[in-house]
Formats: sequence, structure tokens, C-alpha cells
Amino acid sequence: MVHGQHRSVATSYLPLDLERTDQARHTGAWSALRRAPRLLWPALWVVFGLLLLLPTASFLLLAFSPAAFGQGSEWLTLSPFLAALSGPTLRGLIDSFGVACATAALSLTLACGLAWLVQRTTLRAKAFWNLLIWALMLMPSYLSVVGWESLMEPKGVLDRLGLDAAGLHQLFFGPLGIVWVLATKGLPFAFLAVSAGMLGLGQQFEDAARVHGAGPWASIRMVLPIIAPALWSGAAIVFAEGMSDFGVASTLAAASHFPVATYTLYRAVGSIPIRFPVASAVGWFLILAVGLALIVQYRALNGRSFSIINGRTRPVAPRQLGLLGQLAAQMAVGGLFLVALGVPLLGAVSASLLGDFSGGFNLHSLTLATYQRVLSTPSLLSPVLLSARMGAISASAAIVLGVLLARILSRRQSSVSGRTADLLLLGAVALPSIVLGAGYIFAYNLNVLASIGLQLYGTLFLLGMAYAAACLPHTARLLVGPISQIQGSLLEAARVHGSGEAAAWTSTVLPLLTRALLWAWLYTFGHIVFELPISELLYPAGQQPLPVAVVKRLESYDFAGGSAMLLLTAMAMLAMIGLVLAVFKRLTPRGWQLQQKSA
Amino acid sequence: MKLASLIPSHPNSTSLGTGLALGASILLAACGSAATPAPTAPAASASTAATSSSVPASARPSADAGSASKPAASASTAAAASAGASAAAQAKPAAPVPLTLYAATGYDDAMAKAFQTATGIPVNLVADSTGPLLAKIQAEKNNPQWSMVWIDGAEAIAALDQQGMLLRGYTPNVDWSAQGKSLLPKNQSYFPMHVTVVGVLFYDSKNLSSPPATWQDLLKPEWKNMVGMNNPSISGPTYPFVAGVMDQMGGEDQGKAYFKQLKSNGLQVFNKNKDTLHAMDIGQIKMSAVQSSAGYAILDKNPTLKAVYPSKVVLLPNVMAIDGKAPAQVQAEAKQFAEFALSPKGQQIAADEARDGDSWHWPVLNGGKALPGMPDINSIPAAAVDPYVWGPKEDEINQWFTDNIVP
Repeated sequence: MVHGQHRSVATSYLPLDLERTDQARHTGAWSALRRAPRLLWPALWVVFGLLLLLPTASFLLLAFSPAAFGQGSEWLTLSPFLAALSGPTLRGLIDSFGVACATAALSLTLACGLAWLVQRTTLRAKAFWNLLIWALMLMPSYLSVVGWESLMEPKGVLDRLGLDAAGLHQLFFGPLGIVWVLATKGLPFAFLAVSAGMLGLGQQFEDAARVHGAGPWASIRMVLPIIAPALWSGAAIVFAEGMSDFGVASTLAAASHFPVATYTLYRAVGSIPIRFPVASAVGWFLILAVGLALIVQYRALNGRSFSIINGRTRPVAPRQLGLLGQLAAQMAVGGLFLVALGVPLLGAVSASLLGDFSGGFNLHSLTLATYQRVLSTPSLLSPVLLSARMGAISASAAIVLGVLLARILSRRQSSVSGRTADLLLLGAVALPSIVLGAGYIFAYNLNVLASIGLQLYGTLFLLGMAYAAACLPHTARLLVGPISQIQGSLLEAARVHGSGEAAAWTSTVLPLLTRALLWAWLYTFGHIVFELPISELLYPAGQQPLPVAVVKRLESYDFAGGSAMLLLTAMAMLAMIGLVLAVFKRLTPRGWQLQQKSA
Repeated sequence: MKLASLIPSHPNSTSLGTGLALGASILLAACGSAATPAPTAPAASASTAATSSSVPASARPSADAGSASKPAASASTAAAASAGASAAAQAKPAAPVPLTLYAATGYDDAMAKAFQTATGIPVNLVADSTGPLLAKIQAEKNNPQWSMVWIDGAEAIAALDQQGMLLRGYTPNVDWSAQGKSLLPKNQSYFPMHVTVVGVLFYDSKNLSSPPATWQDLLKPEWKNMVGMNNPSISGPTYPFVAGVMDQMGGEDQGKAYFKQLKSNGLQVFNKNKDTLHAMDIGQIKMSAVQSSAGYAILDKNPTLKAVYPSKVVLLPNVMAIDGKAPAQVQAEAKQFAEFALSPKGQQIAADEARDGDSWHWPVLNGGKALPGMPDINSIPAAAVDPYVWGPKEDEINQWFTDNIVP
């Protein structure tokens, strides 16, 4: 890839609203636009720098220089690293690495099967399964843990049904349970990444394999390497997520004798003596682990090009499932969701119902009156509304930036900046969000900034920035798959046929991307609404976002109120997702939905 | 608007590329539409508070602190009562500046609103659990944004004091009870607002008739597998309990030996108050050693639930401290807030506004009464731990507990 080429494609990414018109063509604005690429990418790096790099670097600096932000007296030291490499913190790091590897492998395996059934066969009720995937993605990992726990605890739901769950309980409160919950949490991510790969994979590859006499397994062996970028993208993000998850770390891992790195990091920050420098050193090791994972990924991909959607991509003929096949497929998918989603939800719900029969006091009683209370009490409802608004705004910002970043990432084979961005973004995923939250305080609560009137810390603006920044790595990685498969030749073809740059972009790239953008936006929105540590550390006084309000309710023993807020939000979000998808189907041109038929 | 000016809205900025501009404009929209104005001060101005008489609070009768029968004091009398001598002297002409309260106390919200109504001083509340509040305070060390912190447990506050972050030499001028006085640190860097106790054993009288009386009793075979407590690494108020029991046993080593014995007698450990109580609810354990406020809030609705105080339970002060680096006016207003919260009106709010938890406390003022159904605090065998001695050991002991006691 030559540099000039790179640039021309970059230009074509620009304007949605700056349609090239005859009047505009000769004006200053248009000529400025032509020059823009030269400024765009550096400007983009500045934005990423402020959003992600500066806060993260501030936090990571503390491991070497605690005195930099008043967290100690030493300006240059390595002692936080020594502290991080001893006792429980070291154990946490080793555990986390193992858990993340196992999680990525399990998640990816499940995702491949699921994606193949959904994208490549005539599986029935695809819309329903797609919705469940989103439900799974939106389910906070701690809720899943709570559900499993109430099922399997002594005198739990299973116990009361006369089933001995003691063995399962033992098994669940350890590495196996942790890996399972994290893998189901990562499954939607891996699924989307793999699906993106499969969507873009034209029929011709499978046809070619079959024509040459390959059986189904040989076809799979041939197809897998083609969608390898998507697989690796999925595995990498599940791995990094597994390293950084806090919901499971703070519940399952903390309760069993299995300390993970996130938890030790959180403890260094959340219990006295508060030791940010040690937390920072743990952060370095998390990034190191992701760096290793990326090296493996680069080695595996070995610099090959993986753009596969081109002008000749042929529509897929989904594999016809016979009656038996359909039945088996439905049972497999249904079984997966039952265990991943149904069982924990069932546990959580049935526990609250069974509570009434235990004869004791019921901590979890949820009645319609509780919902009414939430909806009619301003102090309970306003956090829901605030988080919804912040989620919508920050998710939109993250999507715009995510597309641009994904483009840089999709060029990683040829560009140093792409590789750098890749490492930085995946590193950002691997760091628990408390790191970013604290980093924002260090970077944006400086006396210097305050003295020139830039007291950003404690404003909704900074909270919104942090939300966008926290999601950006996920969002960008979700979009890398779809974007990297679009070959430049598509755009060139459009240009040859007389389209302007902008028109070429809107008529070729945008339709292919819309669906991915839509899903990415919805995910990002959901992620932000439930983001706890960043909300806690950065929310402006007096304006509580939803997660903080829920924690506060739970802390003051209003379990019903807290749960009602959570469930109301989750339901509202699912309704919104349904609505957005319906609108998308109705409003977008038919051609844009071409891919949807296969999905 | 100040925020909007951060991003240049210069016509040429579009030339940077629509993508970037779009991203920026969305964030801009975020600040434009989402940034609601800071709460404005109510009409009642500082002058009400400042010019009002500065009757020494100690002279006030505070016998009615806990009684529910007294009608609420009017805003003006509350303001008068809350304006401590020092605060009134310093805050005379200046317009009120907003206070920023970092709090993890059940009735913090109600107190902040009442104070604002009474004095006209706006209070911006950051309400959260203790952990994140402490993390924020520590991270803000070079440029503190908080004016007051208000949480359960003095250990963390003592740790802040040891870093020189707190205002020293101030104690609210109120009629402290003997117990209240005993909880004041020598350097006057913080003060108690109320107390609860940890280690109180709640049990269901339907299942248990004669509960144990001392911690040593719990080691007897008859109590095997019957007791549950919280994990101090996860539950904030549980570390003081562990430290307190260790202190009573004669020190850290003896304390560790005791907990090991307790474990071999079947002690069960759950995450937090609610989990331990839940385990009792489902019959997994017969007794829960938890924080009194958690138990009494439930006991209120479940009369068969009873509380017993093994000798000795641990006093857990709910404490407030003021930012040592805050401007003088903020510090003066913060003192006003503290004295308001300890005034009869404030004590009424404390008793009324968090009936699902923190209202179930004991006041630290002479004549202060706990809610009906709670015993006299002086009848309870309780001791506090020295936060300056046990605070620094928190991380190490919690880790030991996780490694050795958590099953």
C-alpha cells in the first residue's frame, strides 16, 4: 500500500454532509477539504491522545513516579513493580492470564458454531436468537454470578427442588465458574466479530473448495484462515475483556480463593492504605499481557491481506437444514442460551420469588409498587434519564471516532501507526475502567488547568469524554472486522463509474457498514449506561448517573428499589434496540439490507 | 458555556474533516445539552446565617435530639442554631460558596437539602460507597475538590489525616455525650456524627433461644457451623470488627489465632451485610455477626429477629472531616454544616430519613435517643479501636483474612 493511495482513501472517508456540489467545488471550503487529510490524521491523534492516551499514561506514570501526582515522595522508583510482583498481586496476574486465555478459547469456539448456524444456515427464528445475543451482551456479569449463586447455594433453588448442588457449587466457585461467566459475557463480542467475517465471506470460497472435492471439514479448514482476522479480532477482545473484567472479579473471584489482577488492582485503589502506584504497576503488567497476545496475533496472521468483500463477492446460499438438522441446531442454540442467559436469570428471579416461602424475612421482594415508586420518585428516575442521555451522546461520539480508528487499525499490515493504535486500544481494553477513571482525575484535575479556568474534572463534559474513551477501544474493534474487509477496489470501481469521492463512499462503503455501525452503537450505549467505576469516580456532584444510584440504593438496603431501577433500564434498553432495528429495516434502502437477509 | 468554549467553533474547523468535526460536535452537544446549571442558592442568603445570633451550641438543650414528637424547627431557628461562633465570625460579608460533600451515609442527601434550605449555602453531594469516595479523595490530593467527607469508620479518615489532608483543631461546639467525646481524636481532625456497632449477633428467635454471650462462647461445639460474618475485604464496616476483636484478644497474633479457631468451629464468611443476613434467612447459618444498622432495619419489619451483643462488640463511629486545603470560607461553611447536622433539626433528619439503614444508629450527643426498639447504647458492652493503630494494618489483615478464614 503506497502512501498516496492511503491518503486518497482517507479523503473518501470524510464528508457525509459535505456533498460535493458545483458551487462548493471552487470555494475555499472545498479546497480546504481537499487538504484536510494532512490535518485530519494528526488532529485525530490529538483527540485520541486527550481521550485515552493522556489519562492512561498519567495513571501508568505513577508506577515509576509516585510523586508526580502527590501519591508518594519518590520521583523515580521501581518499588511499586516489586510490590506488584509479590504475594497476592502476583498470583492475581498469573490467574488472570490463565483465565483470559481459557475464556478467549471457549468464547471463540462457541461463537464460531453460533455464527455459522446463524449466518450460513436456514436456522429458524434468527431474529429471536439475535435479540438474545444482545440480551446476553447487556447482562452485567455480576448479575449472572448472582443468578448462578442463588441457584446453587445451600438451600438455594436447586437444593429446594431436591437436587444436590453442593458439587456444582464447589466447581462454580473457582476458575471454572469464572471462565464460564466471562466466556458467556465475551460470547456476543466474539460472535459479532466472527459473524462480520462470515458475512463478508462470499459463497465463492466455499464453492471453490467443494468443486475441488473438499468435504465439509476441508471446507471449514479452508474458510477459517480467510476469516482469521475476524477470529483474531474476536479472540483478542475477549482475552482483553477477560483480563479487565471487574464484575466477576469482585464477586466470584473474590469469594473463592482465586484472586485475579483486576481485583488486586481495585483493592490497591479502594482500600486503605490506598496505593495508586501499585495499581499502576499492575496496569503495566495487564498491558504487557495484551502485548504478548498481539504479538501472537501478528505472527499468526503473518502480514497477509484479508480484505474479502470486493466487487465479485457472491451472495451466500445458506445451507439448507433438514428437519433433523433444524431440530438439532435449534436445540444446540437454545441449549447454549439456556445455560448462558436463562439459567442465571432464572436463578435471580426464582430466588426472589422463593424468598416468600422460606418463612423468613425477604430481602429481595420486588413488587409492581416498587416499579411505581421508581417511576414516580424524581431522585430515582433522574439517574435513569441522565444515564440514557449521556449514553446516547457518548456512544455517538465513540462511533464516529471508532470508524476513523477502525480504518487506521484495518491498515495495520502496512502502517506503524496502525500497529501502535492496535496495541494502545487493546491495552485500553485490558485495563479495568477504574484505571481510566482515576487517570482522568490525575490528568484533568491539575492545578495548572484550574488556574486557567479549565476545571474539567467534575463536569458532565469530562464524564462524557471518559465514557466515550472507555468504549472507544471496544467500538473500534467491533468495526475493524467490517471495515477491513472492504477493499479499495470497491471505491475505485465506484469512482470509475463517475461517482464523486463522497458519493462513492456513501454508495459503496456506507451500505456495507450501516448494520455494523448500528449494532456497535447499541452496544456502546448499553455499555455506557451500566458503566460503574467511571461513573463513580467522575460524576459531577449532585448529578448521579444510574449505576451510582443503584449502588447507593443497594448500600442502604433498598434492594427492591435498586433492582427495579436496573431491570427497568434493561427493559427500556431492549425495547429501544427493538425499535431502532425496526426503524432501520423500514427506513434504509432495500439494497442496504442485502446483508440482513443472510443474518 | 465555559465548556463549549473548549472546542473552537471556528468556521475553518470544518476543514479538519467532517468526521473529526462530527465527533467533536457530539461531545460539544454533550456539554451543551447535558450540562445542567449548578444548583443555585435559594433566596435565603448567607446573611441569614451570618447575622443570626451565635448562641453557643453547647448552651442549647439537646435533649430532644432523638424525639420524634417535637415539630421540626423552622428554617431560621435552625440556621441560627447551626451558625457556630467561628463560622459566623468568618463568613460575614461573603456570598455563600457551594460545599462539596463526599458522603456514604444513608441520610446524607436529606441532610444536604435541609442545610441548603436553612442556610442558603448550596451543597453539591457526591454520594457513593466508601471505597470510591476514598479513591477520589486520594487521587485529588494535589487539587482537592471536596469540602467534607462523611463515612462509616475512622480508619480511612485517620489515614487521610496522616497524609496531612484534613483540617485539624476543630470540633463542633455541641453537647457531646461521654461516648461521643471518647471518639474525638486528640488532634481534632475529625468528629463522630453517630455510632453503630459491628459484631452484634442477629438471630431468629424461632430457631434459637439462648444465644452466646461472649466471643469465646462461639468456640464451643454447640455453636458449630452456626455463625456467619462478612468478608472484611469486601464489606467496609467489617474490618473495624475484625480489628476490634483482635484488639480485645490481646493483639493481632492472638486475634488471628482466635479467628482460626472460629473457622475450625465452622465460621462462614459472606460478602456483605445483606449476604450474611440472607444466609441466615435461608437457614444456612443461625446467627449473623453484622453491622447493627443493617440488622435493626430488618428487625423492624420482622419481630422474631433478635439481637444479642457478645462481649464486646465494636463501636463503629460514623465520622466527618473537613478538607484541610479548602479556602477559609469553605471551611467555615463546612463547620456550619457539621453543627447543623448535630443540631436538633439535623438529628431529627438523621433519625427519619434512612429508615432502611443508617437511621438505626445511636446519637453521640447528651440526651440523644436511638429509634424505638434499640437498646440504650450505655447498656451495650462495646469498645472502639484506635484508628491510628489499626488503620495502617487494614490491607495486611484483610489479606490474611481472605487467605486463611474465607472458605
